[in-house]
Amino acid sequence: MGRIVLEDVTKSFGESQVIPPLNLTIEDGEFAVFVGPSGCGKSTLLRLIAGLEDTTSGKIVIDNEDATQVPPSKRGLAMVFQSYALYPHMSVRKNIAFPLRMAKMSQSEIDKKVEGAAKILNLADYLEQKPGQLSGGQRQRVAIGRAIVREPAAFLFDEPLSNLDAALRVGMRLEISELHNRLSTTMIYVTHDQVEAMTMADKIVVLRAGNIEQVGSPLDLYHTPRNIFVAGFIGSPKMNIISGPEADKLGATSVGFRPEHTDVSKTEGMWKGRVGVAEHLGSDTFIHVHDTGLADMITVRITGDIAVTHGDDIYLTPQLDKLHKFDADGLRMA
Amino acid sequence: MSNRTLPRLLQTPAVILLLIWMLVPLSLTLYFSFIRYVLNNLRRPEWTTPSFSNWRGFGNYEFVLNSKDFLLAIQNSLFIVGSILFLTVALGVLIAVMINKAFPGQGIVRVLLISPFFVMPAVNAVLWINMILDPVLGLQGLAVAGINDLIASLQGAPVVGWFFSLWPEIEPISFRATQTSAIAVIIMVTWQWTPFAVLIFMTSLQSEDQQQKEAAVLDGAGTWSQFRFLTLPHLGRPIAIVVMIQAIFHLSLYAEIEIVSRGNGNKNLPYLIGEFANNNIGAASATGIFAVILANIVAIFLLRMIGKTLME
Repeated sequence: MGRIVLEDVTKSFGESQVIPPLNLTIEDGEFAVFVGPSGCGKSTLLRLIAGLEDTTSGKIVIDNEDATQVPPSKRGLAMVFQSYALYPHMSVRKNIAFPLRMAKMSQSEIDKKVEGAAKILNLADYLEQKPGQLSGGQRQRVAIGRAIVREPAAFLFDEPLSNLDAALRVGMRLEISELHNRLSTTMIYVTHDQVEAMTMADKIVVLRAGNIEQVGSPLDLYHTPRNIFVAGFIGSPKMNIISGPEADKLGATSVGFRPEHTDVSKTEGMWKGRVGVAEHLGSDTFIHVHDTGLADMITVRITGDIAVTHGDDIYLTPQLDKLHKFDADGLRMA
Repeated sequence: MSNRTLPRLLQTPAVILLLIWMLVPLSLTLYFSFIRYVLNNLRRPEWTTPSFSNWRGFGNYEFVLNSKDFLLAIQNSLFIVGSILFLTVALGVLIAVMINKAFPGQGIVRVLLISPFFVMPAVNAVLWINMILDPVLGLQGLAVAGINDLIASLQGAPVVGWFFSLWPEIEPISFRATQTSAIAVIIMVTWQWTPFAVLIFMTSLQSEDQQQKEAAVLDGAGTWSQFRFLTLPHLGRPIAIVVMIQAIFHLSLYAEIEIVSRGNGNKNLPYLIGEFANNNIGAASATGIFAVILANIVAIFLLRMIGKTLME
């Protein structure tokens, strides 16, 4: 079991309140991702759940028990840190065994569990090495192994992939997702990378300045962002957001349209612009369009290829049924 | 000129200087240790100038080995160095961990902690032996006298008086006596060098990874386990450095021994060398060679023990 409920949780450091009253429920077995720009309080929130920080007020309930005053080691949560936080003087085996050893488990049982975790994570060949001898991805796996052996109620991941290179990150992303499918344990994952959030999450929690901007499944957030912030944060390349007379014509203060929901023509369309940079990826083409009079730059995404080069004139037409309209407060209209 | 010639040429002056620096004193010591060489001898005036014609072979070494103080000096050297190393490292780790946490007045406490290190060794010895350890006038004497007075006054008290009259009068310890003077030296040098250990351990503690500690907290490690499994291994390297540096320094202790007991029953090798050097330079040189050998044995042991830590 691993149902985590936050009730009116706040956190202040001295005078400044980094988490205003916040309510959130994470169901058992859910993969929840906290995402937001740096400094939005997502790591603080995770540390509050872990018990590494004390809440200023409010309640943290884990499995229907008030855990607000429970010390971190008794909450049944395991955490994977951004820096991996492996114990440098211990071998991989001892690192993974450490929580079991602290729990005074018998040596034979420890060995069994460590071997099991090593097998799941492909670490069997490295058990006698020290963390310093491992690559970033292997260290990450050791950190996850140390979390797995405790059989926690929930896993907490604090930006676990941000120290890895891009290729490895994609691989580890898959591994963590597979791990979640296999263990079906609650996981809370903090990241500033919306791609990680979109690909891994059952439930995304978008945070800004300690406030929850929106909670929902990745596609909910993609299709119906609640406000301009979420609209701009979720999706890659970013949604184009325009305001002014053209937006008024479409009946809203601000109008957003995604790069992939824009039709492109060389001859006719709603808005005329000039091609800046065209990124040809083969499967897709990203075109950065300037001088439309709408915004500094509009990005569009075309499936396949189109023969445009820098400086060409181009016409854009947003798909009207996929427009996102926002009112003066930046909130989604109907 | 090949690639390597120029760099080697440029290194040469430094290498030669270092060689002279080390080889000349060592060769002279070796030379003196094999000849009869005394500063003053009315019957054999030829011994007062060093010369190969005064060759004595291993005679000086035999003389030193057979002198009654030699074994004591070696034992004492090792005992004093070993005790100081153990105490400074233990106290150093303890104090460094204690003052590593933030508390009001931290800055002042740190400066005060370092200050013993700035006291000159001779002054340190004079202060301790006269003002603190003296059995009559020092703090020790005053404290013992105070306790004895208190017990004496309680012996006349009703009800509990019989209990206190069973107590013997406490005798103050004379640290100038032969058996205890080594302990006095250990106490004062430990007091002086603990700050050095604290300073090095403190800087090392500040570089300790906090996320590791948080991970350990989540893994269920208590304060002791965190210290045992994270902090102590983290301090392995600085401990090795402190032990090495202090071993080098304390094998050559002199001022403290001179001031506490004038070597009375408490000699170490440097002190023995000093005594021989009053007249018998040959014997002093032979002792010096023994000291070099002892230092090398200690160094090999230390390197074996801590080399592993340093290499990791």
